[in-house]
Amino acid sequence: MADKSFEVFPKNPKKTYGLMELVKGTGPIVNKEPEDTIFTWPNLFYLEFIVALIIIAGILFLSLYVGAPLEEEASRDTTPNPMKAPWYFLGLQEMLVFFDPWIAGVGLPTLILIGLMLIPFLDINKKGKGYYTFSERKFAISSFSFGMGLWMVMIVIGVWFRGLDWNWYWPWENAHLHKPVASGLRDLPVMFSRILGISDFAGKGLADFLVLIYFGLGLLIPAYIFKDFFKKLGVLRYATTMVMFWIMVGIPVKVGLRLVFSIKYVVMTPWFKI
Amino acid sequence: MTYKQLTDWVTSTQIYKAIFRHGYEDTPRNRALTTFSNVLYHLHPVKTRRESIKIRYTWCMGGTSMLLFLMLAITGVLLMFYYVPDARRAYNDIKDIMNVVSFGSTFRNVHRLAAHLMVFTVWVHMTRVFLTGSYKSPREFNWIIGVVLLMLTLLLSWTGYLLPWDQLALWAITVGTKMAAAAPFLGVEGPFGAQLGIRPDNDLKFMLLGGTEVGQNALLRFYVLHCVVLPLMVVMFLAIHFWRVRKDGFSGPL
Amino acid sequence: MSNIGDEKITRRDFFSLVGWAGIAATMGGSAFSFYKYYFPNVLYESQKVFKIGKPSDYPIGLSENWKKERQVWVVRTERGLYAMISICRHLGCTPNWFSDKQVFLCPCHGSIYDLGGNVLGGPAPRLLWRAAIKIDPVDGQIVVDFNHRQDPDPVSTESGLKVDEASREVEPFFIKV
Repeated sequence: MADKSFEVFPKNPKKTYGLMELVKGTGPIVNKEPEDTIFTWPNLFYLEFIVALIIIAGILFLSLYVGAPLEEEASRDTTPNPMKAPWYFLGLQEMLVFFDPWIAGVGLPTLILIGLMLIPFLDINKKGKGYYTFSERKFAISSFSFGMGLWMVMIVIGVWFRGLDWNWYWPWENAHLHKPVASGLRDLPVMFSRILGISDFAGKGLADFLVLIYFGLGLLIPAYIFKDFFKKLGVLRYATTMVMFWIMVGIPVKVGLRLVFSIKYVVMTPWFKI
Repeated sequence: MTYKQLTDWVTSTQIYKAIFRHGYEDTPRNRALTTFSNVLYHLHPVKTRRESIKIRYTWCMGGTSMLLFLMLAITGVLLMFYYVPDARRAYNDIKDIMNVVSFGSTFRNVHRLAAHLMVFTVWVHMTRVFLTGSYKSPREFNWIIGVVLLMLTLLLSWTGYLLPWDQLALWAITVGTKMAAAAPFLGVEGPFGAQLGIRPDNDLKFMLLGGTEVGQNALLRFYVLHCVVLPLMVVMFLAIHFWRVRKDGFSGPL
Repeated sequence: MSNIGDEKITRRDFFSLVGWAGIAATMGGSAFSFYKYYFPNVLYESQKVFKIGKPSDYPIGLSENWKKERQVWVVRTERGLYAMISICRHLGCTPNWFSDKQVFLCPCHGSIYDLGGNVLGGPAPRLLWRAAIKIDPVDGQIVVDFNHRQDPDPVSTESGLKVDEASREVEPFFIKV
């Protein structure tokens, strides 16, 4: 402290701050123990500086060996086969196989973004704030991990297991050999009406009913088993959480229906099909 | 002249004092002033919680995303000097950048790599924030800003994808905008689109492309979005994001 | 000044209302002009009505001569000739023709079509478009109208989405030869 005359307000020379005014109000750090704080300069800045150096060096080094691709000039007459989107969109591209474009390309991304934005308002669990814990927020962590895992699996499939005509290719298969044409997708309502011998309309009704049952039971059963969870969240929060959750689970269910039973659509209306 | 003498002389000059509003000595006061008398550094608080800056805790992903954004802005501006968004020459301009311009290929590679890496780091940052429960009250709004930033990051990479005007670009954008045409209500092929009087020349895809096919208008629109509109939006939302981190307090085990 | 019920609107309230209405109108007008500005009124795209030669130029089967330039396949059957648009109905990629299997395969998401445009498999929700065609009475060439497309509602069957071929072979999407 060479220049003592400069520090007028803090009488204690060891302090770099002083009491200015007392105001009433709430803040994020109220009713907490004194904190173990350290100076941002140099502790945090040095950390950031070192990380920045490592990242910049890494990217420069990689850029010597990994070139940005440039394919043939754009031409409308031939689509490259297979046509792959950048890796972070391959999850959506994979979904396009199983859902109509308006769901996979517009509906699902919108739902994902809205769902992510709603998370802080749906998860009102006071525990686990600012530290990692699984035991105190089992549902939150496991459902988030499920969604993330699903997304990652889709990306891995898209990057390494999709080949010509978007068919499944194992890494050891010849990637230049076209696969035989697989065909014969069926619609669930049509299957119902054919197998059960009921009218087309009744078949559609039955399929719609099954979807309603799926969401209905999905809403009712957890509310019955986890009564505390339901009470804490309230009807609106609980219903939103569960609908979002079952839509998320519904995606692999629909994929499974396609892979096992070759089902194309479950719900069929004159305007849209799911 | 010793090192000490040199620093003493440099820090005693009027120029040094005009730039840095604090002394050079390592004192608590100077440490504090370093942070809050600097326009960039003062995004940080003077003191931070020991626990909340551990790499083990933060994974350093938010800061890395910010660094990558800066790198992308710099290399992006450099690439703009040689690139013309004209469908007849865009592809050749990229070829020039790759083969003829000094260090052109390096800057393009860095731009590409950093873009891919930024999507990854933003994503991991979000995962970390979720796992440590750092979005909980009072930080709900900042999480929403974060989701908006994730969306902007993806839109930036998507619009940048068209600019090289190669096969990859054309078809990725063809597919992407066809999805816009399939949007409910707004797209010509989407549910309820036709019922609402949406035609190929007034739907969402037409608005995005500025035409019915991926052509010159689309290239120019994506160029403007990629180089001006979206980066500006990112900067604005980043400012709010950082501001709210300060105002809502750093998270971290208490 | 008017009275609504018992509430009296003061001069201050009235001008405040007028002011806000003016601001709202200005904002609305700007929003509308922003919106309209995004839709170009004149396009400089490739021609959408074009000639593709005479029917006698096309032997029975599929011709890919115009795929690159105009994005149409010309198909000649025993009964006649139609022009099919080479845009996948799923997401707009260009399907490839495999003459050994007699199918179109889309490289993007694996949609499968037969020569008539019926969907044999994959995610495509509808059949391939056919463009309107007619014979130019002067030089006898086929004129294709790329924007006038046939898009019938398909029937879902065991082997994919189908439409009765006879119902597609109508004017102006079919030329009897």
